[in-house]
Amino acid sequence: MATAIFEQLINGTMMGSIYVLMALGMVLIYGVMHVLNFAHGVLFMTGGYLTHLFFFNLTGSYPLAIVLSILTLALIGVVLEGVIFRPLRDNLRMQIVASVGLILIIQNGVIQLWGPRALQMRTSSVSSLVKVGQLSFTMQHFVIIAVVVSAVTALYLFLTFTRLGTAMRATSQHPEAAIVVGINPNRIYALTFMIACALAGLGGALLGPLFLIFPQMGDAPMLKALSAIVIGGMGSIPGAIVGGFGIGVVESLSTLVIPSDYRDTIVFAILILMLLLRPWGLFGVRVRGEH
Amino acid sequence: MKPSLPLIAAATILIFGALAPVIFSGEPYVLYVLTLALCYAIPVIGMNLLYGYTGLVSLGHMGFAGVGAYTTALLMKSAGLPFVPALLTGAAAAGFVGLLVGIPCLRLRSHFFIVVTLAVGMILFTLFNNLDPITGGAEGLPGIPRPQGFTLGSFVVEFRSVSGFYILTFIITALVFGLQVLLVRSDFGRALSSIRQDETLAAARGVNVFGHKLLAFVLSAAIAGVGGAMKVLFLRTAAPLSFELQESINLIVMLILGGAGYLIGPIVGAITFVALPEFLRAAAEMRLIFFGFTLLIVARFAPRGICGAVVAGTRILSRKDKNLVRHS
Amino acid sequence: MSGILDISGVSKKFGGIQAVDGASFSLGKPGIYGLIGPNGAGKTTMFDIICGRQVPDAGEVRFHAQRIDGVKPYKLAREGLARTFQECRVLPEETCLNNVLFAAQDKRLGSEVLQAFTRSATARRSAELEARRLLKLIDIERYADDPASALSYGQRRLLEIVSCLMSKPRILLLDEPASGINPTLLNTLHDFLVEIYEETKIVFLIVEHNMEFIMSLATEIVVMHQGRVLAQGAPERIQSDKNVIDAYLG
Repeated sequence: MATAIFEQLINGTMMGSIYVLMALGMVLIYGVMHVLNFAHGVLFMTGGYLTHLFFFNLTGSYPLAIVLSILTLALIGVVLEGVIFRPLRDNLRMQIVASVGLILIIQNGVIQLWGPRALQMRTSSVSSLVKVGQLSFTMQHFVIIAVVVSAVTALYLFLTFTRLGTAMRATSQHPEAAIVVGINPNRIYALTFMIACALAGLGGALLGPLFLIFPQMGDAPMLKALSAIVIGGMGSIPGAIVGGFGIGVVESLSTLVIPSDYRDTIVFAILILMLLLRPWGLFGVRVRGEH
Repeated sequence: MKPSLPLIAAATILIFGALAPVIFSGEPYVLYVLTLALCYAIPVIGMNLLYGYTGLVSLGHMGFAGVGAYTTALLMKSAGLPFVPALLTGAAAAGFVGLLVGIPCLRLRSHFFIVVTLAVGMILFTLFNNLDPITGGAEGLPGIPRPQGFTLGSFVVEFRSVSGFYILTFIITALVFGLQVLLVRSDFGRALSSIRQDETLAAARGVNVFGHKLLAFVLSAAIAGVGGAMKVLFLRTAAPLSFELQESINLIVMLILGGAGYLIGPIVGAITFVALPEFLRAAAEMRLIFFGFTLLIVARFAPRGICGAVVAGTRILSRKDKNLVRHS
Repeated sequence: MSGILDISGVSKKFGGIQAVDGASFSLGKPGIYGLIGPNGAGKTTMFDIICGRQVPDAGEVRFHAQRIDGVKPYKLAREGLARTFQECRVLPEETCLNNVLFAAQDKRLGSEVLQAFTRSATARRSAELEARRLLKLIDIERYADDPASALSYGQRRLLEIVSCLMSKPRILLLDEPASGINPTLLNTLHDFLVEIYEETKIVFLIVEHNMEFIMSLATEIVVMHQGRVLAQGAPERIQSDKNVIDAYLG
């Protein structure tokens, strides 16, 4: 039993890391711009496909392919913010309409380009195994955890110690804050989308080799990340991190006691309970009239 | 009094819809696609009541449709209940699940309500997919009987053939549409609309916002249940994939495409989304890409969809007419 | 002894701030009452408590001897308490006529649904005459069929007030009606409020910042300061009250 628990803890932490990447992007976008980006999952998926493309057709190096796809997604992020989301600010319903439009375009565009079948990308980090006691995990498991921990740390340092990062955090609390410190708020919005899309792309690039790359690969991570930011407290960055890891671990551990088919149900049930009992989340601040 | 534009549109659709089996008598495929479009139009009407009039977004509505569908299917298949009571029970079951969800969740605001409906939809889908003894799991429930026909004197009415089932679906859609008209054009509808426009003001004017939202949500879930039931009766099998998240999202797409807050918006949207691409013989992916771009355009430039664009267009035209009159 | 609106010992705290601190006053007979006070005096909180948007921590609010503190806004509206908003709220997409008619509609869920199926339009038709008269009163009759969002701010303000009147209220609460109104329109608003008061003879309770406006309009003034009621009386008496002057200058 102890080994089984340990195995699921590692698996859960790995999946949780992926959720954290997604959740951080979504929470940044929500905090700064008050947009719930339902299209975040297809950006994750795009990251997977781009990495596959760059890996096989351009570089032959997995790390280089990751960097290239992150850069591409950052660029996509800037474009999406400027062209689609900026004009829809403060219009929740139309933001949802636009995200659905994006999902349809990107998901089916990918099917047009690569076909509906899943792609494989066996990098060396997936084929090499790491033995821990009687258990063995792929190297990729630990690569994912390590990369995510570094990315989160880097993001934290950026948000805390740079002028732009501070302005971003300030803007998420008061929209006028950026103007006060003399930064064009539109730059903040563009930057936020850029970082969020890059994080989603990184997630897809990391998970792609381990599982498969397919058009719907981002759906589940997006839903889990959405749950994570609600459970953590909408707008709270620590909440997104704790929520993401928490969901990964809880859903992995739950497979020990209930059929794995109901794994998602556990997560969504926790989400609903949280919304009913503590809608401002684990780390959120209760704002009067906000819920 | 001059008949209004929506009235003419509704009458045209009604006549055309009723005559469709005659017009397309040699083309069962056309009738097949129209029937499918109507099966979607019904839950979209429910969604219109909720989103178009009350202003609430639900991303889990196909979950409620599924409750109605499985209930109706089981009652007809296993219990041998006739169509009408089975359908009504299905609608009631969907409405009841809507009530259970609505009571705790409708107090949540905008983003949170959307997320919670999404979660409910996902949970319902997981249940349809995994409760094998009841729902047949991923395989679904095959072999659902079509409603029994009847004879009126020497006139035989049957629902087994393509055109027969089309007529049945058409009648059900017309009834649901009629219900929508009654509700929307009433004091109740005006109160719902006031909630969409300004919840605080509505409350200050004496509207029990929570009560109204709850009733709208329950009605909308029950109507979705009717739609779900018609869909599985049409496909003759109830499968979880009919009620997944993507389908719930499609409902929203159809509504917004057609025009949320317009009585015929759901019909226009469902037919545009389901039937038009079939007739254009476009590949499924291409049409979804096309609709994706359409949604981006709608979000930015035409938030009230096709109906909204048509109304705005005629308004501009009629204003031109007035100007002409004034100048002459 | 109970008046029309009785406030006794009402307190309300937000975080560490005592917004209202044992305030009491009574509005005994119909009239135009002004509720004034320097910034932070607690008058907005007081107004929110009377309208049911806030629940007081202590004290009672009675309307015709009935407790109404903590009662939800929609129930208060059904009891004949009509209010306007500082930021001026109308239904933007409805026509002006429908805005006014909506106020008169029976909003109990049961009767609404019944109306949907009987399609009875008698109540609406009989209300329409009165609604048009009110629109004429504020001189926007010609916009009756245009959406309310097409009106100017001042016109919307007037529309909001006549919508309240349409519901035949027993008390009308106005939250800073003069805010955002240009000086030339202020006189119109002043005369209009006097005119409808003469017609309805109910309690008007007006929270207002514009001293000149409220002093010439009100028949009685209630002054709040630091969460308490400092003085109540006729405008002339209030204007010469030493405590009130100190509060405003201090």
